[in-house]
Amino acid sequence: MKVPNILKKTVPVAVGLVVLGYLTLYFVINQTPQWIPENLTRLARQADLLENPEAKRCFECHKEIYAAWKKSRHAIAWVSETYIEDSENRSKEKCLPCHIPRQVKNGEKPQPRLDHRDDGIYCVPCHVIDGKMHGPYDLFSPPHPTQKNLQYRESKFCGSCHEKTFEEWKIAGVEDTCQSCHMARTESRLVQKPVLSWLHSKKQVGDHSFPHGEITQEDLAVTGEISGKEFIVTLLNQKIPHRVPTADNGDPRLYLYVRFLDDSGQEVDRFKEILAPQQDTALLYGKEARFQYPLTAPVRKVEISLQYKPAWSKDKSEWRQLSYPVTGDSG
Amino acid sequence: MRTSLINSLLFTLMLFLIPLQLQAKDMVVKAPPESLGKYYPPESKEPKWIQQMHKMSGNLGGVFVNLREKDWDNLDKNADQFVESYKEASEMVPEWEEYFDLKAAKEFAAAAKTHDGEKIGKAVGAVGKTCGKCHADNSISVWTRFHWPSFHKIKITDPIEEKELDFGKYMGLLSGTFKGVTVNFKEGQYDRSQKALRAFKSRFMELKSTCSKCHTTDDVKLFYVGENVAQAFDGLQKELTAEKPNPGNFWKNVGILGKQGCKNCHLTHRSYAMIQERWEEK
Repeated sequence: MKVPNILKKTVPVAVGLVVLGYLTLYFVINQTPQWIPENLTRLARQADLLENPEAKRCFECHKEIYAAWKKSRHAIAWVSETYIEDSENRSKEKCLPCHIPRQVKNGEKPQPRLDHRDDGIYCVPCHVIDGKMHGPYDLFSPPHPTQKNLQYRESKFCGSCHEKTFEEWKIAGVEDTCQSCHMARTESRLVQKPVLSWLHSKKQVGDHSFPHGEITQEDLAVTGEISGKEFIVTLLNQKIPHRVPTADNGDPRLYLYVRFLDDSGQEVDRFKEILAPQQDTALLYGKEARFQYPLTAPVRKVEISLQYKPAWSKDKSEWRQLSYPVTGDSG
Repeated sequence: MRTSLINSLLFTLMLFLIPLQLQAKDMVVKAPPESLGKYYPPESKEPKWIQQMHKMSGNLGGVFVNLREKDWDNLDKNADQFVESYKEASEMVPEWEEYFDLKAAKEFAAAAKTHDGEKIGKAVGAVGKTCGKCHADNSISVWTRFHWPSFHKIKITDPIEEKELDFGKYMGLLSGTFKGVTVNFKEGQYDRSQKALRAFKSRFMELKSTCSKCHTTDDVKLFYVGENVAQAFDGLQKELTAEKPNPGNFWKNVGILGKQGCKNCHLTHRSYAMIQERWEEK
């Protein structure tokens, strides 16, 4: 088939113009959004976005952030069984401000809201302030106005609700913020809906699943030793800049089990410690916790087990097991 | 002269509202009517009944504040709003409709609008009596049902057996463990007493977690299970591991635990918890 001459000439030109147009637009949107007339942007505004919509409205564009948030404890702050049980079927007023905040402001305890309670702690209470969508970037976003606000990278922002943990973090005096560990950033796009998803450059986007993080052996040192007629277990929170575990009102726990066994492997004695923020026994950053146990009978082996129970579960999981042979005379 | 008249009126008003509750020597604490439940969480998002009471009492008290300050405009507003809020309250709980006397409320408002302290003083008596009667009959039950936590709903995981127990059962277990400490001590069986102390301390300290579900400020926790209690536990441990335990020191520390840990908490919570338990039995 013969291509007409006219097409041979115009198609490359048209393609060239489209590519040039795209590159120009990409450059303007990402580098000089202020060149775009405000009146033009306003035409594309979607007013309901600033009127406290539900989380799924945000999902229409921010699919990845929504999916991450949906996995978080924040997403189920109002509907979680643990919360419902502990708040006596949500009747405890003190729980409301942080489980259904109306607006989270840097370091201020929020007020509870009346709408969209099933969404718990979601996009709107954290990001909509005074008719603008606040976040760590200045962006061209026709559906809603945006406002760059670096408070989102400060621990103080999380401290609005996580007050005790924030205080513990301040005492630790480290540079890493809450967001450094619990909102680790990866290169990604903020929007997953064309055409903005084609036009926005990638950014460093925080993990909105707010991962809890695993305690590593480097984070928490465990040692056991015999001293005279005692066995001493020492725990040291070396790297986590708040108590381990930590919570304002929840009840996460680290259980320390210590078992003394004789020659035949029979249990001679056993001890248990509950390390919990609500009992003021959680492990402080950089401070050793020592537990002394009397050796009242001959012992050949000491077994140590550390198990973790998060606030939202009744089940424990094994974190670490250690075993110490005892030589010579004991007990 | 006028100020003392108004003060007398306020005093009279208080006489109507408060001591009426003391009239009934044999008191029956009946569970509040079912329909009241819809004005309290979880059925309601807010404690609407108590809010309505505050509104009504704010309007009524406002009349006397305005009278003292000769703020006639606001006095008239408060008088009208009182009738309105009184009427609203009368329609909220059908079972309590008869406590209310709308005629008396309207007569009070009319008297209030004369700005004559003497007339107001006379008129408040009739409407004040209706408030006092209802408070005398129902205040304790409403506070017990809607404003105190329900202990029977609290579950505690026993730190020793790691089983979830009802609050009452847990308290029984705690008390039994405590007796293990004291009885064995009395019998001179210090090893057993020491072992029981370990379990008792663990169970006692578990209450820090339980109490923190309602008591979110550290002050309360420090009061019941704070430094004094920790020192008492250390003192007991010291005596039980001593070559010759000193009974004086032992019982002194037992006393601290009993007073600071058990008695103070029981004095505050037990009466209400007992009433709740009795209602639950029904």
